[in-house]
Amino acid sequence: MSLLEIKNVSKIYGELKALDDVSLSVEKGEWVAIMGPSGSGKSTMMNIIGCMDKPSKGQVLLDGVDISKESGKKLTEIRRDKIGLIFQQFHMVSYLTAVENVMVSQYYHSMPDEKEALEALDRVGLKQRARHLPSQLSGGEQQRVCVARALINHPELILADEPTGNLDEANENIVLDLFKQLHREGTTLIVVTHDPEVGEAAQRMIVLEHGRVAKEVVNQNFEA
Amino acid sequence: MSKRRMFFKMITASLLRRRSRMLIALLSIAVGATILAGLVTVYVDVPRQMAASFRSYGANMLLMPGETADLDRQSTDAALSVISEEKLLGATPYRYIYTEFMGNQTGEGKYSTQLKFMTAGTAFDEVQKTSPYFAVEGRYPEAQREALVGKNVANTIGVKLGGNVRIAYDRVKTVNVGETQTELQGSAPGYYDAEVSVTVILDPDGTIKAVAMDLSRQTPFRVAGMTTDSFTDTYGVTHAESFTDQFKGKQLPLILSQSENDPDDYIDAVSGATASSKAVVDAVNAAAEVGVNTDTQQITDTERVTMSFTVVGLLETGGEEEDYIYISQRDMEDLTGEKDRFDVVELSVSGSSEELSAYAGEISDKAGIEARLVKRVTKSEASVLGKLQGLVFLVTLVVLVLTMISVSTTMTAVVSERRKEIGLRKALGASDNSIRVEFLGEGLFLGLLGGVIGAVLGYVFALVVSREVFGSDLQFNILLVPATIIVSMLVSALSCLIPVKRAVAIDPALVLKGE
Repeated sequence: MSLLEIKNVSKIYGELKALDDVSLSVEKGEWVAIMGPSGSGKSTMMNIIGCMDKPSKGQVLLDGVDISKESGKKLTEIRRDKIGLIFQQFHMVSYLTAVENVMVSQYYHSMPDEKEALEALDRVGLKQRARHLPSQLSGGEQQRVCVARALINHPELILADEPTGNLDEANENIVLDLFKQLHREGTTLIVVTHDPEVGEAAQRMIVLEHGRVAKEVVNQNFEA
Repeated sequence: MSKRRMFFKMITASLLRRRSRMLIALLSIAVGATILAGLVTVYVDVPRQMAASFRSYGANMLLMPGETADLDRQSTDAALSVISEEKLLGATPYRYIYTEFMGNQTGEGKYSTQLKFMTAGTAFDEVQKTSPYFAVEGRYPEAQREALVGKNVANTIGVKLGGNVRIAYDRVKTVNVGETQTELQGSAPGYYDAEVSVTVILDPDGTIKAVAMDLSRQTPFRVAGMTTDSFTDTYGVTHAESFTDQFKGKQLPLILSQSENDPDDYIDAVSGATASSKAVVDAVNAAAEVGVNTDTQQITDTERVTMSFTVVGLLETGGEEEDYIYISQRDMEDLTGEKDRFDVVELSVSGSSEELSAYAGEISDKAGIEARLVKRVTKSEASVLGKLQGLVFLVTLVVLVLTMISVSTTMTAVVSERRKEIGLRKALGASDNSIRVEFLGEGLFLGLLGGVIGAVLGYVFALVVSREVFGSDLQFNILLVPATIIVSMLVSALSCLIPVKRAVAIDPALVLKGE
């Protein structure tokens, strides 16, 4: 069974069809990039996969659960339990330190555990910076904290929204290396991006255009 | 780390590391709490302060002789025991007497002037408590034979500070005049049941002094021998005294002689008027039965006592007190020869007019003397107090509302400022309730900090107000500290309700795509 299965999903805003009868599936452990120009529907797709929006039509099965019909409260629970989010603008709580930011995710999920949070930071190479506030961290460091935060509750799926959009090349490579490492460890990754370089790092690219799947490309050069 | 610790870490970090905005909210709460605590402190303490201020207008309760008790040391002490010690600010007894001012002696018992003045005996240390408005030129009397003289009196008699006044008092004495005698009336049936009545005068020792007979209903010729200076008795013995003379010096009851051998102190009947004689004796005995009609005769006499005083103080009050001469209680006792007798006791009692009324009732019940409120003082005190408390209440209310508006506005701004953060928290899985609890938690924490600051600054504020307005220090009420903190936390939490509602409504999707 696929981890994520999207069947004939449409999202309609008044006259506008943001998504038009889209179907796709993502297997467990797979690294998929969703690509496309602005207005292609990738944000809408991301909101629906991230349990922050519901489709107008169709079915979304996440880990066997149909999330297209759930209430807001239930969606929050599913997001909390199954999805780790990474954002373009990092979004750290500005008045909390790196390790505390990781612990916020634990706090909403289950129980804050500083040791575990520090280990997660260690994994992204930021153990030394754990006690720094976001303002004292570089963009790349902030995004690595966010990766640690997304990982901390062992989600079924990591959903990254333009994760390298605000990073320079060096930091972009660090983040992509982290993704590779996560993929090797069996984490399912969905990366929404318009950056071809980021897209090509994935196992498979799904290109959206005008709310439809324009093409699917399997990366032949993908090295695990 | 426990969930609760993380919660507190988050809300304290939000306040401590984000400063600026929260500082404004904290400031408004602290200012609100300060004014609140200050005003409430003043509000609570105002009755006491007012009472103290109003006491300078003089006594607010008077003790007077009552229906069942005179005003003396005993009844006064009983009355004062009703009032709790810390409430009783002063109790001044007054004894008023009419005295005569004696000018220079011009001859035996003759003086240049003789003017009548009221003289009051009192306790001067208490006077200063119950009549703080007394303006004394010189000083209050301390030793014996020193007097405080009212300005009017001093002007009339022309006496100056350090001068002397000689005053005379006529002590009234009651004396029994002559010997008291007792008069008795009695009657008894005589000849053919015709009534004989008598009046018997007894000496104080109970022996008969005189007997007067009314024999008008008897046959005149038969009783002729009863009224003559000498008479012959039924045994033919002639007595050199009248019939009634036999009674003199004898004790009641009398016994009529029945035979010649009877003792000498028996009464002998008049020959030819046996029945009437017996009737007289019966009537005298009957008079004794009727009862003793005592008639003590008293007259009053006066004894003049003259005493000289050194004028140590001149009294100015603008009132009737200027017409009096004030002397110590000791001197008053010497002058009148009477101890611990008062005409009025002036009390200065702190308390609301309800409390005072309750005291007055209890005093009447327990001590039997009358306690009156000086309405002019107690009424105006109650009225001013009511207005002042109303004002404080109103200002407090306004301050609370203003604080709430200010905190609410600031928190709303804080929520807008933190939209991204709230969206992030929701994206990370925070439920609506978590968001609510976190923001209310921040509000309560803000309220706690503001309340603590406010309680401290409020006390200082109240102290300043108290010193400036009432010129006296404040009684610190420890209960106001937790009360201030709780109220400011409540106000703060209430102010956060609308901002929290906004926070909950934020869409987590806004964190995506760098909106």
